[in-house]
Amino acid sequence: MLARPGLVSFDYVRARTPGEVVQLLAEHGADARLMMGGTDLLVRIRDGAVRPRLVVDLKHLPGMRDILYQQQAGLTVGAAVTMNQLARHPAVVAHYPLLAQAANSVASYPLRNRATIGGNLCNASPCADTAPPSYVLAGRIVVHGSAGEQEVAIADFFRGPGQTVLQPGQFVTAIRFPPSPAAASGRYLKLGRNKAGDLAIVSVAVLGFPDASAPSGYRFRIALGAVAPVVLRVPAAEEWLAHHPPGAETFARAADLAAAAASPIDDVRASADYRRAMVRTLTRRGLNAVADTIAAPTGSA
Amino acid sequence: MSEQTTNPVGKSVPRVDAYDKVTGAAAFTDDLQFGPGLLFGRAVRSPYPHALIKRLDVGPALELRGVKAVVTGADTPGFIGLYLKDRHIFCTDRVRYVGDPVAGVVAASEEIAEEAARRVVVEYEELPAVLDPLQAIQPDAPLLHPDLGSYDVVPFIFPQPGTNISNVFRVRKGDVEGAWAQCDAVVADTYRVPHIQHVPIEPHVAIARWDLSGEVTLWSSTQSPFAQRDLIAHTLGISQGDMRVIGNYIGGGFGSKAGVSMEALAVAMARQVPGRPVKVRMTREEEFYCCFVRQGLVARVKIGGTKEGRILALQVEYYWDAGAYTEYGVNITRAAGYSSTGPYNIPNVKTDSYCLYTNHPVGGPMRGFGMPEIHWSIEQSVDQLAEALAIDPVAFRQRNCVQGGDVIVTGMTMHPHGLSECIERVAQRIDWGKKEVPSAPHKRRGKGVAACWKAPAMPPNPGSEAWVRFNEDATVSVGVGGQELGQGAFTVAAQVAAEALGIPYEWVRIANPVDTKYSPYEWQTVASRITWSMGNAVKAAAEDARRQILEIVARYWDQDPGDLDIRGGEVVSSKSEQSLSLRNLVVYGLPLPDDQGWIGGPIIGRGKFMPTYVTGLDPETGQGARAVVHYTTGAQAAEVEVDLETGRVELLCIAAAYDVGKAINPEQVHAQLEGGVVQGASSALLEALTFQDGRPVNASFVDYRIMTAVDAPQRILTDFVEVPQDDGPWGARGVGEHPMIATAPAIANAIYDALGIRFNDLPLTAEKIYLALQGA
Repeated sequence: MLARPGLVSFDYVRARTPGEVVQLLAEHGADARLMMGGTDLLVRIRDGAVRPRLVVDLKHLPGMRDILYQQQAGLTVGAAVTMNQLARHPAVVAHYPLLAQAANSVASYPLRNRATIGGNLCNASPCADTAPPSYVLAGRIVVHGSAGEQEVAIADFFRGPGQTVLQPGQFVTAIRFPPSPAAASGRYLKLGRNKAGDLAIVSVAVLGFPDASAPSGYRFRIALGAVAPVVLRVPAAEEWLAHHPPGAETFARAADLAAAAASPIDDVRASADYRRAMVRTLTRRGLNAVADTIAAPTGSA
Repeated sequence: MSEQTTNPVGKSVPRVDAYDKVTGAAAFTDDLQFGPGLLFGRAVRSPYPHALIKRLDVGPALELRGVKAVVTGADTPGFIGLYLKDRHIFCTDRVRYVGDPVAGVVAASEEIAEEAARRVVVEYEELPAVLDPLQAIQPDAPLLHPDLGSYDVVPFIFPQPGTNISNVFRVRKGDVEGAWAQCDAVVADTYRVPHIQHVPIEPHVAIARWDLSGEVTLWSSTQSPFAQRDLIAHTLGISQGDMRVIGNYIGGGFGSKAGVSMEALAVAMARQVPGRPVKVRMTREEEFYCCFVRQGLVARVKIGGTKEGRILALQVEYYWDAGAYTEYGVNITRAAGYSSTGPYNIPNVKTDSYCLYTNHPVGGPMRGFGMPEIHWSIEQSVDQLAEALAIDPVAFRQRNCVQGGDVIVTGMTMHPHGLSECIERVAQRIDWGKKEVPSAPHKRRGKGVAACWKAPAMPPNPGSEAWVRFNEDATVSVGVGGQELGQGAFTVAAQVAAEALGIPYEWVRIANPVDTKYSPYEWQTVASRITWSMGNAVKAAAEDARRQILEIVARYWDQDPGDLDIRGGEVVSSKSEQSLSLRNLVVYGLPLPDDQGWIGGPIIGRGKFMPTYVTGLDPETGQGARAVVHYTTGAQAAEVEVDLETGRVELLCIAAAYDVGKAINPEQVHAQLEGGVVQGASSALLEALTFQDGRPVNASFVDYRIMTAVDAPQRILTDFVEVPQDDGPWGARGVGEHPMIATAPAIANAIYDALGIRFNDLPLTAEKIYLALQGA
């Protein structure tokens, strides 16, 4: 119930190679916890929610704090890249502004100096700010384990609140994003109880782009945060948008479909009713804002 | 000493503590170093809101290496409390809230102390809990304090033994029942105010040491060094002469560090380890519910008036959710009763204000001491009545607001004050009456106004004492017992001393930290009383020193002291036009002619102030000659924009104006008003400590949100008027708490103007507003 005044003691290892991590995890099993920025882990240790004997710091592994961008290959973000790094990186701001917006909405500036995208995703909180953008940007999680490296689509990564597909001995080294579709525009809208520093009670990521193969001429991707055990894509709304001309009515209908798809809970932060209603508001606002900036379509004020 | 600010009263001189605070040199309590002998204490706290302690086994804790002592209720059998001694330092047989301390562990480190605290075995028998004040007042409610009748209590508090009512304050004035028939409109409503917390940036911290000689020293982050000395000494059987409290700079108090809360734990723990200092500090989570919270309130209001626009009758019932112990909170109930009309002249009044025990955290003083809570209901009721009578809310307030010379709710005659002008100014600054265009089609704008009053709520005779001592170069040390908690008390004291002595402001040094062994007495730094009361004491001390100096120089010059003055640090004679520097003479005195000896010597002036005119009130009617020392009055106006699609309220502008009597330091007055508006706005839109079965569920900053800079009103327009207080220094009266009082109701009235929906319960969260809009 009451948080401790300080941390209980544990051993700390700053890992130098992925192999060392694999070995430590094999030796210590459930007694070991992986750490990047520590903004969640250390608080959870203080709260007594987890009591590791060993904390393995991953952020000094080679490449973990690098951001690489190539026009053909897309973006690779090291798992230990901090939110402030991500929010300000020229390539991210230029080509994946949605991701920059989400990173910049996390907690407060000092926390964003420590909090990492990898930590944000691996905690698997339904309200993780970088998760909904990762869905609509088709992110792939790079997982390292004893068998080497593999990639997992973000949609397959989360299992439930606090749960991912990571097996014992595995850890995340990077997140990869393919090049954004041509002329794409994205928005991340987050509602907290106050304007700065809060966790999302609802968040919505919207990505839109022209696509001649869609009957409406556009494709939209919508991902919802904090309204289900894991981030939700809304295929019904995306389908509707592909088949109906962009505009206020279409967006309102899509927002209704998004609200219907959400399965929020009542908790200390908000009621399910309010969350569902805010999915509608934020989705509609996100669609309108995105439509305004993709191809300046008419009738979508 | 390049700057030389003469006659500093009324000037915005820089704060005396600015440099140290900006550079980080200012020492706060947790900064103090005690060397390797320092021990740490942690409390074992109740997990139940109400339970009997059936068994307590400290053995497993004592077995842990590094544990020095464990203290339990058996070691601290006495009661402690400011107005009603209803609280043990450690519980003896019963716990009454989640967090109630049942034992304390002293160990070599905080971590060991925590580990040991978790090993203390406590067996409880859970009892039914009382979690609502309306439940608490029911005759069949579980009784929280069966021994209420045996507790020590001050004469103006009236516990009702055999009930959960620890105080009741009644007003019976005029004929309320007869008045309703003469009213053209009557409105009635019920309002609720949740518990909130002060959230000072510096959590409570205390270090205590019992010397082998018997002297006890307590270093604490406190608004009340002297009250802590008195209360803790009394309870633990220490002579006040052997108990010493040292209070360093405070990182925010807002009332939470008044009286005694966790500090007694440290002293009781230190008794077990003589000679060793023991530090106890609250985690942020503990801070939320283990010290003080603001009391909750259910207010039932019925108010009626005539179509000419006169408020004729008011009937209110206040049910205070005062928590597990009401040692301090009983007086909030009383203050609410004697101020229950708000700043209005109402001829017929019936008030019942009940202080109720519940199994919630301890309700205590918080900025405004009951006034933000009752004005939440008063100021919305006044708007409702104005609407029912089809009168503009500003005009309605102007017609009814109390004037100097009016006989107010308790029978006291109101002193001159500038409330009407404050109302006028805030209305003007917010363009009252002008409809504004919203920034988007899905938004609505509205404006609202609220007035307020508050008197220092305290015993009739709280004293202040000060001294003024010269150094060789004519700089001055000013001793005060009031605390600097960010509000600027030390700066005001320095300005007052310089002005009264006739020396530049830059020559004054405040003798801090406040140390009860050396500092002059001050009851507590609470109730917006320091500028007024301590200011009077400092002024008297300075005048005493000045008189001594003039007498010596008059003798030296063979003149009449009445012809001499001190200006700019020099004694001057209006008769002979001689002048003499204060340097040296203020310590060494002056030589007589022809080497015939010396006169004078070190100058030390002393002063005191204590109000002597506050009378008792009739317990049945609340009537008496003078209930309080004075009221500070003021008003606020708010302009809001509500997003209909999210319910979020944007605070576009809040204007605030208060009658401060005299602004000793205008810039500090503006800063106080700004801070109060932001704290008031935060309580209006965001803050509530919430409970599930008596357990707090949002006791951390993750889920107890407070206003940040970007949430604060876009514009805060602050203003003051100066109708002097007859017994204030240069006419000054306090304004520390008042800026928080009118904010929430002004915002609620503005939201009503925008949406046509009235919200009776705080806080006005976006969710609450959005869901109400769907229901409307």
